[in-house]
Amino acid sequence: MVSLADLKQNARNILKEGKVKYIIGYQSSSNGLRPVPAFIKAAEEVDKLIWNPLCVYNLTRFLVDEKRRKAREKNPDERPVGLIVKGCDSRAVNVLLQEKYIDRDNVYIIGLSCEDKGVVDEKKLARKFKEKKIEKIEFGKKNQFSVTTEKGKVEVAAEEILADRCLECSANVPVIYDVLLGEKTPRKLENPYESLKKIESLSKKEKWAFWKDQLDKCIRCYACRSACPMCYCDECVVDSINLAVTAETTAQEKEQKIRWIEKSPQLSENFVYHFVRAIHLAGRCVDCGECERVCPLDIPIRLLNKKLEKEAKELFEYVVGFNPEQPSLISCFRDEDPQDFIR
Amino acid sequence: MEKILKKNSFPQWVKKFIDYDIYAPVEDGDFWNYSLIEDPKNINLDFLTTVLSPKKIIFPQKEILLEFSTSNNGDLELKERLPEEKTKVVFGVRPCDARALTLTDKVFGGDFIDPYYQKRRDQTLLIGLTCNTPPSPHCFCTSVEGSPHSTDGLDILMTDLRDKYYVESFSGKGEQLINLGKGLFETPKAKDKKELEKIKADSEKKIKRQIKNIKKIPKILKGMFESPFWDEESLSCLRCGICTYLCPTCHCFDINDEVISSSPLEGQRVRTWDTCQFPNFTMHSSGHNPRPDRASRLRQRIFHKFQYFVEQFGDFQCIGCGRCIAKCPVGIDIIEVLEKVDKYGA
Repeated sequence: MVSLADLKQNARNILKEGKVKYIIGYQSSSNGLRPVPAFIKAAEEVDKLIWNPLCVYNLTRFLVDEKRRKAREKNPDERPVGLIVKGCDSRAVNVLLQEKYIDRDNVYIIGLSCEDKGVVDEKKLARKFKEKKIEKIEFGKKNQFSVTTEKGKVEVAAEEILADRCLECSANVPVIYDVLLGEKTPRKLENPYESLKKIESLSKKEKWAFWKDQLDKCIRCYACRSACPMCYCDECVVDSINLAVTAETTAQEKEQKIRWIEKSPQLSENFVYHFVRAIHLAGRCVDCGECERVCPLDIPIRLLNKKLEKEAKELFEYVVGFNPEQPSLISCFRDEDPQDFIR
Repeated sequence: MEKILKKNSFPQWVKKFIDYDIYAPVEDGDFWNYSLIEDPKNINLDFLTTVLSPKKIIFPQKEILLEFSTSNNGDLELKERLPEEKTKVVFGVRPCDARALTLTDKVFGGDFIDPYYQKRRDQTLLIGLTCNTPPSPHCFCTSVEGSPHSTDGLDILMTDLRDKYYVESFSGKGEQLINLGKGLFETPKAKDKKELEKIKADSEKKIKRQIKNIKKIPKILKGMFESPFWDEESLSCLRCGICTYLCPTCHCFDINDEVISSSPLEGQRVRTWDTCQFPNFTMHSSGHNPRPDRASRLRQRIFHKFQYFVEQFGDFQCIGCGRCIAKCPVGIDIIEVLEKVDKYGA
């Protein structure tokens, strides 16, 4: 099991030695069960760090902010950022490296192994415990979580409350790190695409009805895009005003910028947004599931990305985020690539 | 007017609303939202905080302002499109959400009346429900001059007395609705009134979260515009629109011309929700952005609600529903931010 004491010691050491400028991790929240992101700048603050089954965030997302902040600073601190990652989050680091968005020396990676488990889905947890107030949730014995409510502590089978993405995870141990905590527990993955079974079994008409219902709910708060470590573009096609306007951009250039999508939250535009995003994440999404977790209207966004992950695997034997040196799915061509779908 | 309505008479009362579109909270998977109701039997008033407030009914996310087209002789034709819908009745309005509309009234119904907002507002009747128990663990209405039984902005307030509702009306339109159900209502007895008062008093005590010293906040904020405080507090902000889109008082919008056909020209000028949390909200056409980072955007949200609005209208622009806290993807908590502001001032 990951030892919190070891985690704190490691964090303390790298901060004391001045190896990193700060560490991105998890700390407890003052008002709820789920932790919040922590930005630890000094060795004295490392006791804030925690690790529990509700450490759901993909903190790799904050490397994007770090890069933007650094670009604005006149004399930026060139030291790396300490980053606490789970397996899925480490795959996101690999994609950022592969795309040359960051350099390896921008980040000092503290990997935490999920071992035989993963993170808990808060909604599943709430459904299971209904009215009972949950006070604490811990990694329990093999394949179990320990949940403490006002009525006492109970053990829950991990699969009952694990996030869907963790049930289909192929990287329970971080795949890139400077230091690893926890065991390299081998884990068999029998049904990597279980969540797709239901939607794949539907007819075209039924699929259309399903997505119509789901995407009709979208309020375009763009939380899915905001939480995604791969959605780092400075200029997103869905923004009707272009961010990449400078003082030198002429009126004519502005006028001629294509508006790909309208701001109206109506079905046609919602489809464009979600499908464009899904396509842009093909071969890049590491299935951290953050897009779906943050959606205030519970749109099953992850299904779109999972389907494309499956297509990439089946058609091109492409898997995301295990090797930062591999050529990317979209920008490479091999003679043996299948072509039968090109008409 | 004060009346008693037995719970089993409730659907019969609603059946009389034939001239109205009826909205009520509907459960959809793990959350609740207001939806159009076909059968009064489907109204369930035992619900938790809805994802969106009734704001979405009166200030819809998309409002068509006008339609434009070119006629056969090439002239540009403009047609104003004011909302033309049936009068709506919304059941299960939380007292805080109704108060939110009274705040937005000051913006859209003040010196300059917004005809689109005003028309929908005038054509929507709000039937509130006392929050006997808080519908969210993050409720803090009592800290921002509200209460779980506030009547501000409501036509009717219903209070659940187990097998019946205590029904109070506060407007002529509310009274008319009660009159539609003649024969179904009874006159409250002294003991009903006593029970009502007890429930209302208890409901206030059940609100767990509070902002201490809220009165001091506007003044402290005034001296905090340039503070590095905002850099620290906004470190985890993802710049999504959840806090503001779900907020019952946030009312910022964008206006765009959306072209349906370019030849012959046909399109609509539409108003859609916008948010100070998106970087392009303040983007100038020169390329300059006066709110370039997350710190300035979080600051704007807090300042608008607890400084600018107070200066302009004398009210906090927050009604304590807790939606922004419950749904923030990274757990940014407005109560916590304000408590830190208070400490900063001390």
